[in-house]
This record gives sequence, C-alpha cells and structure tokens, in this order.
Amino acid sequence: MDAILSVRQVTEHLRQAVEGRFPYVWIRGEITNLSRPSSGHVYFSLKEDDCLLNCVWFRRQQKDETFDPLTGEVWEDGPRPSLARTMENGQTIVCAGRLTVYGARGQYQMIVDLAQADGLGLWHQEFEALKRKLAAEGLFDPARKRPIPHNPGRVVVITAPNGAAIRDFIRISSSRGLGAEIRIFPVPVQGEEAPPRIVEALDRAGSEGWAEVVVLIRGGGSVQDLWAFNDERVARAVHCCPIPVLTGIGHEIDHSITDFTADYAAATPSHTAQLLWQERHVLEQHVDGMELALKSAFRRRLDALQLSLDHISRSLTLLSPLARLRLQEERLLTLTQRLHVAIGHELEEKERSASLLSSRLREDTVLPEALTDTLETLSLRLAHAGENRLKQAERDVESAKAALLPLGRMTGMKQEQELARMELRLQALDPFEPLRRGYALACDEKGEILRSVTGTAPGRTITVHLADGRILGTVTEVSDDSLPTDASR
Amino acid sequence: MKKKEPTFEERLTRLQSIVTSLENGNSPLEESVALYKEGLAHVAACRKQLEQARHDIRLCTEAGTEPFDAQEQDGE
Repeated sequence: MDAILSVRQVTEHLRQAVEGRFPYVWIRGEITNLSRPSSGHVYFSLKEDDCLLNCVWFRRQQKDETFDPLTGEVWEDGPRPSLARTMENGQTIVCAGRLTVYGARGQYQMIVDLAQADGLGLWHQEFEALKRKLAAEGLFDPARKRPIPHNPGRVVVITAPNGAAIRDFIRISSSRGLGAEIRIFPVPVQGEEAPPRIVEALDRAGSEGWAEVVVLIRGGGSVQDLWAFNDERVARAVHCCPIPVLTGIGHEIDHSITDFTADYAAATPSHTAQLLWQERHVLEQHVDGMELALKSAFRRRLDALQLSLDHISRSLTLLSPLARLRLQEERLLTLTQRLHVAIGHELEEKERSASLLSSRLREDTVLPEALTDTLETLSLRLAHAGENRLKQAERDVESAKAALLPLGRMTGMKQEQELARMELRLQALDPFEPLRRGYALACDEKGEILRSVTGTAPGRTITVHLADGRILGTVTEVSDDSLPTDASR
Repeated sequence: MKKKEPTFEERLTRLQSIVTSLENGNSPLEESVALYKEGLAHVAACRKQLEQARHDIRLCTEAGTEPFDAQEQDGE
C-alpha cells in the first residue's frame, strides 16, 4: 500500500524537507558535548535552555583564518587559528552551515561551514536592530515606494567617480535610452567619511530638484566595505529624498538598510542602468512595429474608402435621370392600362343604362294628339319627296347608260388585243416551244429533267425529248465540258 | 523655438492613436492621408532620435561641472 512508507523512504522525505527548508542558516548557541576524535572532525552540540542541536565540523572546513569571514577584513597580524581548535564547552558561538538528516543515527544535525565567537556577531545584531527600528517607523512600507521613471532624461548618480560601479553603469547605459543627461555626484562609498558625504549628495539632489531619479550605486565588497549603506543617516536621507531613489549596492546577495528604504533596490549597479532605460534596439523594434501598423491601417482605410466609393457610384447609377425616366414610363404604362380598364367599365355601365332607358322609352311611347297632325304632314312630305327622288334616279340611270355604252365597246376591243398579246407571251413560256426550234430535253429514268451531267452516269438510261417524239438511250460517257456561253442563249 | 519638440514617448503615443483612428474611425480621405503623413513623420523623427541618442555625462563637484570620461577614470 502506498500509505505505508519504508524507513528509507521516510528518512529521504525528511532529508529533503530539512535541507530544502534550511539550505544555509546562522545559528547561535552554547557549546556542549564537545569531542575531538583523532579523525580531526569536531563533534559538539549547541544548547539553548532545554533544546539541543547536534553539529559536526568536518576537518576540511576547518582552516586557519587569514581574514574575517564575516566582514572580509584581512587580519593584519597574520592568520588566526581556527575556532575548531580553540573552542570549549560553555562558550557561546555563531555557526553558519546547513541542516541535514543523518539517517544512520536517525537524527538531524548541522554541518558547520564556519563558526565565530559570539562577539563578532555584533555587526549582525546592529543591522537587525536598525532594520527592526526603521521597519517599525514605516520606512520600508511598500505603499510609500514611488515608481522609478521609465526612460528618464535627467539622472543624478551618487557614487565614487573612480569605482567599478560607475564604469558598469555607463557601459550598460550607452546602448540604452534616448540620450539622457547624467550628473555624477562624486562621494566616497566606504569609510567613516562616506555616510555624511552620501547624505549631503542626496540632500543636494533633492534641493536642486533637477533630476527625475537619483541613482545610488556601489560595487561589490565585504560586509564592512558596504557598511556605509547600513548607516541610519544614509537610510533616512534616502527615505526623505523628494526624488525617487534607485539603489544598486554590491552584488545580488547583498542587502543593505539603504536598499530597504530606497524606492527600488536593483541587484547591482549594472542592473540600475537596465531598469532605467530600455535597450535602443528594442525601441527600434517598437518604432518598426508602429510603422507597419500605420501602413496597414492606412491601406485598410483606403480600401474601405474605395469600397464606399464603389457603393456610392452604384447608387448614383440607380438614381440617375435616365433610371428615373424609365421608372416614370413604367408608371405611365400602368396608369394607362388602369385608365383603359376603368373607361371600359364606365362605357359598359353607360351602355347598360342607355339600353335600359331606351327600352323603357319604347314601352312608354304614347304619341300625344298634337303630334299626330305633324306626323301626317311629315308622311305626305316624305311620300312626295320619295317620288321625286325616284324620278330623278331614273333620269340619272338613263343618262349614265347613254354614256356607258360606247365606253363599254371600246373597252371590249382593248381587252381582245390584250388577250392576243398574252397568248403570245404564254407560248414563249411553253417548255416544249424550244423543241420546235431544234433543242432537245433529256430526262433520267424517273422522268426528271437532267439539268447537269452529274444527274446521270455511264450505263444509265436517259430519255431525249425532241419536237416530234423521243429517243431512249444509254449513257456511254459523261464529261463536264460546258457549251460556250453565248451558244446557250 | 517656441513649441517644444514632442518626446519619443509622446510620438509613440500619438502614433498609436493615429493607427487607432485610421482603424476605427470614419475619417474622410483627406484626413486619412493627413494622419498617415503625420504618422510617417513621427516614425522618421523617432528613428532620428534613436540614431542620435547619446548620454551627456557630467561630473558635478563643488568647483562646477565637467564632462566625465569613464575611460580616463579607468586608467588609474
């Protein structure tokens, strides 16, 4: 089952947990159970009240000290013997090293790298005390950190003018930014003189108010070298500076009180330059990207305008006078048709009412007495007029007859002449007439007239018609020699 | 010069807004062309600024300011 671990497994888990959580620690305690076997390794325990920590200090880690491991300061009076040889039970020491699990004995222990008599830990105590004090005053409060300006144009750098820090800073910044004005305020960065001079420079930068950002940098060194930046006066001056302060003190691992009060603490002096300015080729890329975006946006805008132009031109064609005219014509046609239909209806309606009225009229016709006389008079007049008209017509017929008779005779003679002429013309059109003048007419087996030599072939029979009869023959040869043109006429 | 030259950042911001208005706006042709020309001018000015970018480094002592040469200091 997975839940049940072997002893080795649980020991390994513990080792990983302990080593992962305490990779390198400083521990203070009182020496007890000290033993120095002949192997040269030193075994002891550190005790505090009722707690105990087993420690082993292997021989290869025990070296005579030529410098102070805590401050980097070289002992001027020669190497000092390792504490491993001088330590005693009851002495309070500070050990640095890592915690691990010693599986064979089922215990955790400390592997000591270096040890110092407790008195030397005062630097550390001072550091921690100041840190606690300033933290309590709110000097490290993240809420009061001001943003560091991006690509600043005016920068004050407070540092040693001949140090590695300023050289790194200038080297890194030379390929960055858009050309800034950098003013270097020279100060010593270590020794007694350093803190007041740094404070003075910070005050000056603040009162001038020229800079957008103040950069406080110093190259790597021992704890003692960097001690000026753990000075309370410096830390407070950084905190009070009206201009944002960017620090780059020592190496990545170094942390000073000044770093804690600064608006931003870079890892190294070079890093401050990296934070302030973007690399120029990155800025070039920005510009390139912007140019491409501009060109493509403009192209798209033009395309859109072209599109709306096409659209408008199409709409314009639709709205042109010609199109309107066509539209009006269509309307006119429709209206005309409607009018015809409407008139047709109206006419029918009128006819219907007219016939209705006329039939009603016929029914209602009763001639009044007064009209009867007039009617008779009119009848008489009509009869007389009729007779007169008849006589006149008879006279007209007689005179017309007299005029017509000679004209008719003349017309008859003319028509006879015309008939004779027609007869002659008809004879000329008789197909057999040419036969009487000596021509012949050839027909094939079916009696069709041969108009071309292609209509027959050797071996086939043909009938030749002449004026007085016909000849039946067989074709022996066909040739397409034409007759001379004038002979055929 | 009375009018202050725009900074690099200001030019980039202006460029961005030109691109945005060309993309989203309904600006007429003349205005679009004018915007495009303005944008090209900003691009050219940004390039020039980048080409000519040099830091002006001065050492400020109580005696006054003087040009600072890191190489000179390096020599010691």
